[in-house]
Amino acid sequence: MSPDPAMNSDPAMNSDPTAAAANGAGRAPVLSVRNLHTAVATPDGSFDVVRDVSFDINPNEVLCLVGESGCGKTITALSIMRLLPTPPVRITSGEVVFDGTDLTQLPERRVRDVRSERISMIFQDPLTSLDPVFTVGQVMTEVIRTHRDVTKAAAREMSVDILRAVGLPAPAERFDSYPHELSGGMRQRVMIATALVLDPEILIADEPTTALDVTVQAQILERLRSEQQGRHMSMLLITHDLAVVASIADRVAVMYAGEIVEEAPVDELFADPRHPYTQGLLRALPHVSRKRRELVPIAGLVPPAQMMPPGCRFAPRCPHALERCWDEHPAYEKNHGVGLRCFNPQPF
Amino acid sequence: MKRIAARSLYTLIVLLLSSIAVFYAIRLSGGDAVSARLPASASYEEREEFRELLGLNDPVHEQYFRYMGRLLTFDLGKSLTNNADIFDMLTEHGKNSLILGAAAFALVFVIGVPLGILAAVKRNSWADGSVMTFSVAGMAVPNFWLALLSVWLFASTLGWLPSAGCCSTKQLILPAVVLAMEGIALTVRMTRSAMLENLGQDFVRTLRAGGLSETSIVGKHVLRNAMVPIISLAGLRIGQIVGYALVVETIFGWPGLGQVLVNAVLRRDYPVAQFFSLVLIAIVVLSNWLADVGYTVANPRLRRT
Repeated sequence: MSPDPAMNSDPAMNSDPTAAAANGAGRAPVLSVRNLHTAVATPDGSFDVVRDVSFDINPNEVLCLVGESGCGKTITALSIMRLLPTPPVRITSGEVVFDGTDLTQLPERRVRDVRSERISMIFQDPLTSLDPVFTVGQVMTEVIRTHRDVTKAAAREMSVDILRAVGLPAPAERFDSYPHELSGGMRQRVMIATALVLDPEILIADEPTTALDVTVQAQILERLRSEQQGRHMSMLLITHDLAVVASIADRVAVMYAGEIVEEAPVDELFADPRHPYTQGLLRALPHVSRKRRELVPIAGLVPPAQMMPPGCRFAPRCPHALERCWDEHPAYEKNHGVGLRCFNPQPF
Repeated sequence: MKRIAARSLYTLIVLLLSSIAVFYAIRLSGGDAVSARLPASASYEEREEFRELLGLNDPVHEQYFRYMGRLLTFDLGKSLTNNADIFDMLTEHGKNSLILGAAAFALVFVIGVPLGILAAVKRNSWADGSVMTFSVAGMAVPNFWLALLSVWLFASTLGWLPSAGCCSTKQLILPAVVLAMEGIALTVRMTRSAMLENLGQDFVRTLRAGGLSETSIVGKHVLRNAMVPIISLAGLRIGQIVGYALVVETIFGWPGLGQVLVNAVLRRDYPVAQFFSLVLIAIVVLSNWLADVGYTVANPRLRRT
């Protein structure tokens, strides 16, 4: 938790690209999530939707959080940003350490200073995620001027520059456009531009390409990757799409039913997945080079939050489950940037 | 812009059709305008002569065109009961109605919108509960009863405000509040639900992620989105106020258009009744047109279509 120069808000301080820590070793993380529990209150009681989640985001890396819909990826991201719909969803325990402070303990006022200025977030559906009755420029200007003491003209200039940088055609005209006048890809670029305009240290992207056409998806991913590298920014990318993971990630954390079950550098995870769930995900993925291999779906369904098995949460669907997997809950063990929550890891 | 032009044309057509409807309705309603003017002892010949003089024996459509021609030249004729010039009546009573109506209209939004915001922001609190109870009561209570009740309470019992008359500020308070009550109640409900609906939208989360203050998010972005339906129904509030003005002006002795119209109808003063009906219809139709324009302006998604 010691303060590290890389966590300083001064962008000059974290401009050392040689330290791109693909394996997570060597440098202090920019952000550390530790034993995060987030629960939803229902009339039947409170249930963890995120349970004992721990991971680090290292300087200049892209960490992908992968899992099926409803596995808690988005809730994890919203917990970091303190954007949970509270009530009914709230953080019940754990820490999110950023620049030496635990974000979960900050008063709302101080969290606002972090948002966008130091940690930004973009969302899945660019149509509903933009305010329909204000222009692109009005919102961007307001975001800039909330954090920085600049004139409207300067904010406009900053906005147009970043809109151009993210590849929006005719950025000066688009500055005065309303979201409904833009295409899906353009809207997502606007959202990215707004998130990056203050040069944050971390960008959290929640399924940024899921709602877009396939051709646009590749462009947006490419843009995110180049912005991340150009700005020496860290990125937490949330997706259910392993193809996206393969194209952009440095490191991957796999979530299942609210827990991280496996974490590894991307090449290692694809080449040698250890957890039966990760293996199942990869077997369910079509692969160009292995032409006639059959796709194998994972049998069964994710148990609902109020009916989680007492042992391993994946045990009911696991082909390798042991007796103990049903009774005991496996702990998350992490060494040298590789983490696993499994009693009976299998070779792939 | 095309949308506004289309609505304007539509508005003109509605005005024209309603003027025809009013014209025929006045002539179809029973009772004779002549008896309003001539003594009961007048002979049949005298009555016929008078009808001929007023042009009442001509075919209705001829009367209509003659009337519309006079309307365009502001030659509106005189009241059959007191010989007052109808145009003078319009300016004099119109001014009073405008004061009362504008006060009520302002109250609808000045009270309704903030209460609705409060209820939405403090959802499920005691504040929300009381505001919504007030809103239900405001919609359920008929305005004539509310008028009588408020006169009894604030004028007769407490003696704080005068019970009737025109046109001091103190005399304005009771009729304006009574006239506005249903509009306030509806506006509170609409504001609350529109605010809540927009507070749940994805864009609110994006704005929060941008680090904007809750004051700006709720007071500027969400409110602006929520105002779209409220503005678009503001015109309907005008129509409601005009309609209720007939009752409220009569009860509070407020000498406005509504009171004139009620009296004219009771006395079969058909030129007055006809003209003031047209005036009230025009106000309602034009306010709906205004609402359409307002909706288009408030909602950028409609502006360039």
